[in-house]
Amino acid sequence: MRALLRGAAILAALTVPAAAAPADSPVNVPEPQGLWTGPQRGYTPATLKGATVIDSEQLATMLPERPVLLDVVLADRKPANFPADRPWLPTHRSIPDAVWMPGAGVAPLSAEREALFLRRVGELTGGDKGKAVVTFCRPECWGSWNAGRRLVEAGYTNVHWLPLGVEGWQDARDTAVVKPDPAWAALAPAEPER
Amino acid sequence: MKTAATLALGLALSTALAGGAAQAAGASDTDAERAARWKEIATSIFGDRSIAPTDTLVKIEAPKRAEDAALVPITLTMPEKDKVKAVHLVIDDNPSPYAAHVTFGPAADPSELKLRVRVNNYTNVHAVVETKDGALHEAAVFVKASGGCSAPMGMSDEEAMKGMGEMRMRFAGEPASGKPVEATLMVRHPNFSGMQMNQVTRDYTPARYINKLSVSEGDANVFTLDGDISIASNPVIGFRFLPQGKGPVKVVASDNQGGRWEHSFAAPSASN
Repeated sequence: MRALLRGAAILAALTVPAAAAPADSPVNVPEPQGLWTGPQRGYTPATLKGATVIDSEQLATMLPERPVLLDVVLADRKPANFPADRPWLPTHRSIPDAVWMPGAGVAPLSAEREALFLRRVGELTGGDKGKAVVTFCRPECWGSWNAGRRLVEAGYTNVHWLPLGVEGWQDARDTAVVKPDPAWAALAPAEPER
Repeated sequence: MKTAATLALGLALSTALAGGAAQAAGASDTDAERAARWKEIATSIFGDRSIAPTDTLVKIEAPKRAEDAALVPITLTMPEKDKVKAVHLVIDDNPSPYAAHVTFGPAADPSELKLRVRVNNYTNVHAVVETKDGALHEAAVFVKASGGCSAPMGMSDEEAMKGMGEMRMRFAGEPASGKPVEATLMVRHPNFSGMQMNQVTRDYTPARYINKLSVSEGDANVFTLDGDISIASNPVIGFRFLPQGKGPVKVVASDNQGGRWEHSFAAPSASN
């Protein structure tokens, strides 16, 4: 955690090419005008206009209504020079029944990938823009904020953002191994994970 | 920053140690998944060799609440030290799970070994002891920490690499004949995981980690470590050895980009 805060502190000291001023504390982060195009890692706002911010307890009470759980955690990146003779076995644990679209909260996305994201959410919600959708990644990760913003802008009216993400959930509850959404993973090449 | 610290606690990103059992995480689905994961990793490292559970040959200690997933201290206790030939440390849910392989030499006292590691997600941590008769024995603990493999160091790469290869050694206690000496080796090296993004350039820093480190006293080897990106930056290794009084304690370390460093330290001697 200390490293995370250190990283965020460094981040705060930089001029980030985004609409909003860089955040210098976790409690005073303004919402950017549009999507956040700075690094994925950093302090996030307390709010997401047009969406409801929830914690793990609130999510647990929502689960009986079967919300669409959208996990946008970045996939682990294999180092380019990782030795071939060592095991590289990335795995991802998430909230059970989540649909994992790695990096879907990155901004900007290619038009093709952005369209795919919205198409997949359309399929997952059965075309019902009032269906409950929950976006999440990890704490201090902009991806899920951006994913929520994309859905709000696309007209979804029941969007929920879980800022503490998988970590907040797994502190008290079980996770499950989740593979990337096949349709999402099939679109190659992947975006650079930034 | 006080608010940040409070928030950090609230996020529960800190590590905690749950139970003693290998699959301590809860529901049976989870247990089965974690068991399957361990089987996959064990097969990739040990092939079809059988691994027996042990309560006595190796014990793993990890902190109840470590502050930093990029710096999780692990202590391996191996009380039946005369039986131990080597130990393997595996962090199951790290993308590169095989954190360390330590082979003990004639000057070793394997009763205790300390390392600091990166933990990527809530995971079982396995220690597999290889006894001198060639058998494998495993123990595990569940560790709650996440994000350790990709956590940036909070400084530029140049700064992180400053003094790379410098070493310090600390010996504890009064040396007495026939008694093991406790030693702590500190190596300055970023041990870049290759999964860390430089927060300035937003490029990934290539993996640069110590892949081989050996410690000897005189001609006698104490241990040889095969390292990995899961070892924390600026590695600190706590170990015990039996001084033979035949020369300095020599450390030779090399990394995956061709770096090589060698340092000698005056060994404590019972006659002093």
